[in-house]
Parts: sequence; C-alpha cells; structure tokens
Amino acid sequence: MDFLSNAFLGFQVAFQPANLFFCFIGVLTGTLVGVLPGLGPVAAMSLLLPTTFHVSPVSAIIMLAGIYYGAMYGGSTTSILVNIPGEAASVVTCLDGYQMARQGRAGPALGIAAFGSFIAGTLSIVGLMFIGPFLAQGALKFGPPEYFSLMILGLTILTFLASGPMWKALLMAAFGLFLSTIGMDNVSGVARLSFNIEELVDGVGLVPVVMGLFGISEVMLNVEQSMDRTIFETKIRNLLPTMKDWVASFWPMIRGTVLGFFLGVLPGGGAVISSFVSYAVEKRFSKHPERFGHGAIEGVAGPESANNAATGGAFIPLLSLGIPANAVMALLLGALIIHGIQPGPLLIKQHPALFWGTVASMYLGNMMLLVLNLPLIGVWVKLLKVPYPILFPLILLFCLIGSYSLNNSVFDVTIMIIFGLIGYLFKKFNYEAAPLILALVLGPMMENSLRQALLMANGNFFTFFQRPISATLLTAALVLLVLPLIPSFKRKTVAIE
Amino acid sequence: MNNDQVSSAVWFGLGLAVCLGSIHYKLGTPASPGTGFMPFLTGVAICFFSGVGLFHASFRKRQGEGWVPLIRGVRWRNALIILISLQVFALLLVPLGFFLCTILFIAFLLRAIVPQRWIVVIGCALLTATASYLIFEVWLKAQLPKGPLGI
Repeated sequence: MDFLSNAFLGFQVAFQPANLFFCFIGVLTGTLVGVLPGLGPVAAMSLLLPTTFHVSPVSAIIMLAGIYYGAMYGGSTTSILVNIPGEAASVVTCLDGYQMARQGRAGPALGIAAFGSFIAGTLSIVGLMFIGPFLAQGALKFGPPEYFSLMILGLTILTFLASGPMWKALLMAAFGLFLSTIGMDNVSGVARLSFNIEELVDGVGLVPVVMGLFGISEVMLNVEQSMDRTIFETKIRNLLPTMKDWVASFWPMIRGTVLGFFLGVLPGGGAVISSFVSYAVEKRFSKHPERFGHGAIEGVAGPESANNAATGGAFIPLLSLGIPANAVMALLLGALIIHGIQPGPLLIKQHPALFWGTVASMYLGNMMLLVLNLPLIGVWVKLLKVPYPILFPLILLFCLIGSYSLNNSVFDVTIMIIFGLIGYLFKKFNYEAAPLILALVLGPMMENSLRQALLMANGNFFTFFQRPISATLLTAALVLLVLPLIPSFKRKTVAIE
Repeated sequence: MNNDQVSSAVWFGLGLAVCLGSIHYKLGTPASPGTGFMPFLTGVAICFFSGVGLFHASFRKRQGEGWVPLIRGVRWRNALIILISLQVFALLLVPLGFFLCTILFIAFLLRAIVPQRWIVVIGCALLTATASYLIFEVWLKAQLPKGPLGI
C-alpha cells in the first residue's frame, strides 16, 4: 500500500503543469545535445543549471534528469546516420547502426534504438522505485567510516573502468580531491590554498570546471581536425521495426536492460561501460557473431537498451545514499545541494515529493521521448547538416554564458578557460577527466567523513577495517586496485580492448 | 623522454608543491586532523601515483616508446585562436556588455577558423546575439552585463 500511495504522490507531482513543462524541456534539450556531437549531457546540464535557480527543486531535478536520459536517446541518431556518436554511450551503436543505414535500413535501426531505449528506460525506473527506498533503509546504518569507504570504492571503480593505465585515472581522482580542498575549511573556517583570491574562498566551482574540461577542450580538439561531416543520404522510412527485427532484438533488449541497470547502480559504472559490455555479451550469445559490425540489429538493440537502463540505475546511489555514480550524477548532486536539499538516506523520507515526483516524471519523460523522437528524427537529421564551423561558436557561447551566469562572475569564466586548456592537455596526454569530476564533488563529503571517523576512533586508521560494512567496501576497492597487476587479468583486458 | 615520463614528472612536481603548500596550514594529528590534513594527503597521493606513472613510463621507454608529437599534423593554431578569443571575451564582457561582445565574438570565430561569407558572418552573429539575449536576459533573467548600448 505504501508503494502505491508513494507512486500516486509521484504522479500527482509529475503531472503538475510546471513539472510537465520542465520535463518536456529537459528531454527535448537532452535529445538535442545527444544529437549534436561535441556537447554532452554534462556540459548541457551545467549550462542549464543556473536557469533552474528560479524554479522549485522538484522542477529543477526533473528537468536535469530529463537532459540525462534524453541525451541517451538522442546519441543514437548521430551514431546511426553520421557514424559520429553524439555522446560517449553511443560509440558502440556506430558499429552496426551505421552499417544498417548504409544498407538502407536506417529506419529500423533508429526505430529499434528508440523502442529499446523506451523499454529499458521504463524497466529501470521500476527497479529504481523498488531498490531506492530499500537501499536508503540499509544506508541508515552507515556512519562516517562506511561513507568514506563507499566513496573510496566509487572512485576506485571509476578509475578501474577508465580507459588507459589505472595510475592515470587514480592521478585524476587525486587531483580532483585536491581541487575540492581549495577554499574555506568547514571546520576551522580558514581559507585554504586560495592565494588571497576572494573568489577562491568559496572553492573551485563545479560548473566552470566541467564546462572547461568537457565543452571547451572538445571544441579545441575538433577545430584542430578537418571539420567535414558527411551525412549518409538516404530516405528514412519504415521506422517501425518488422516482426523479424523484434524477434531478433527482444532478448538483447532484456539482457541490455538488466546489465545496464546493475552496472548503472555501481558507483563508477554507468551508461558508457554498460553499452560496451552489452555489445560484447550480444556478440558472445549470437549464433552468427560474424554479422556484428556489418549491420546486426542486435548490436543496436542491446547497447541502446543498456545505456538507457543505466541512467535509471545511476539514480539509485544518488537518491538513496547521496553518492553520485558518475559525473552526470555528481552534477545532479550539486544541483540538489544548491537547492538546499541534502542528499542521503533521509532524502526519500524528508522529501518524498522530490524522489517519487522525479521517478514518476521519468516515466512520463520516456513516453515523451518515444512520441517526440520518432517523428522528429527528420528534424534532427536537418540539424546535423548545420556545418560544424557554424555550430562551434554557439557551443562556446553557451559555455561562456553558463559559467558566467552561475555567479555573475568573470572569474568563473577565467576558471572555465583555464580548465579548457587543462582538458585539452589531458586529452593530448591521454588522461580521462571523469574521475576528476567525481572526486571534485565527493571531496568535501570524503573529507568530512574521514575527519569525523578519525575523531570518533581517536586517530585510529584501522577503524575503517574494524567495522564490517566499511571493511567489505575497502576490501572490494583494494581488490580492484590489485587486479590490474595480475598478469592473466591484464592479458584478458588487452584482449577485450 | 616519452609523453608519460614528461606528464608524470609534472604531476610529481605539482604533488610536491601541494604537500609543501598544505604544511603552511596546520596538519593536526590523526585524532584531530587540521586544515592542511586533507590537502596534504591529496598531495601525497598525487606524488605516489605520479611516481608509479614515472616508473611505468620509464619501463616503456626502455622498450622503445618515445616522444609522440602532440601538435604535428593538426591545426593547433585554431585551438590557440579559440583560447585567446575566449579570454578576450571575458575581458571585454563587462566594458562592452553581453550583446556587443557576443556579436564580435561570433563574427570573429566565423571568419577566423573556417572563413565564412560576410553575409553568413553578419547574419549568424546578429541572430545569435539577439536570440541568446532574449533567452538568457529577457526570459531567464540571467543578469548579463550591460554595455554602453544599455543591452
């Protein structure tokens, strides 16, 4: 009964005209940034974050969440039609989606991507409704040592899954933690490492850092290359997949949903990794793996379902534990804090309208996406024909406005430019920025948990291993740190790459 | 030296600077951590992981991995132009105001990176400035700086 009344409350909130409007704006913007290469959901959410300051927290979170799962929908369009993934989670869709388009089957590829996304998105929300409150109950047993260990595990998983050597990802996480310490120390009130710059007393802002690392640096790299983009000229017809397509896609969708959901729940997991894992699983399950890479519809259905299911899963640690699973969730966490809501195990109890309203809005958002995107595919294709040399100044302008309007501060713009250059160098030297973002957001919470835990244990570092939950989490993190050192494991990883 | 040797040496230097910088604040004791405690730990972590990186990169150097040029074969000047134009935008934003600054910014980039026809440049610059002004200033009340034109 509790579940039903909560769900009813959620739909009551989600159906309020203002929330419906913001949900629509969110999914539409998400699809747009998903379609446009070079502007991912993280940059789009940072851009729109300041615009949510004047609306209620529920509307703000509904819109920002819409951008995230909307981007997962939109990303497949560019992968299939242009062979350029709109965002990282759609990279793997290029392999078979583009081949299908070349064979004149762009319609079914786009159709199955949209339907798969809808089904997976909806099922993952059901999972979120059941698992979220359950996990929040369990998290009430967490004290500072458990929280600290959980955050360490989250960072370790993200660095474990990052591409390239693990030491680089760990360095990024350490650098992110360092950045999070700049500014006022909450305990002593002393301004740390602020070099007498007044604006740094409040710390380094998340939005300018994200915009610099993901927006500006991406444009800088793109303008270095040839900016020609060819769109496969084909009539897009028969968006509704045939019965044969449905039969071939049914199990890949189910497997993709389950995989995506659970990989999304893991701190550090998420849409990108789940789409790759789903593709690998489908190839392994297939009786004709040689078809993969040459237009197999399973290669579109599985990964597209997986990346959408991961979005629902990723909300679980954020809304029930207050711990973001990835950079996008880190930004949502920032939005919650800006709106005066403390994420954590008590969030569902203290703000039921926010939790259940957001979940219900995701149902509605998924329906909006299905209704919107199938007829709008033609519009997105036209949009893709806007040449990049005309598009990139607009992306830069959005980043400038987004970073400035957060505090009406030119200093934030300067921070964004500096991190644009840093992000550019990171990419040149093959450092991945995602662990840095997660660490930057988790940093203050980690520091508080660490200091509280040490105070409680009278300075005994072994306290983290003396409490069962904390010890389990830290052991898991240690295992992940040690795994890459085992030669047989290393060989397997190289083989997968 | 290969790329990873250079980058991990830079990281090591940064980690060392962080450690030294955080000693200025009180480190405290494990039982009562001070203001500099966490930054010091992150500095140690940066030094440690960059040390691992340096070791790893030196091993690969011995196997023959050399320096890979970062800007060969790419139009790196375009990236530099973007960076400079962003900084100029930041400097001129308050004195010139958002509207005028945006027109100049968009027009400059449309001519400087892949030169567009003047009609496209002027049209896009005016359209973008007007649309973004209406959306952010008028609709979303973002309070963007106003210049001599009052917009």
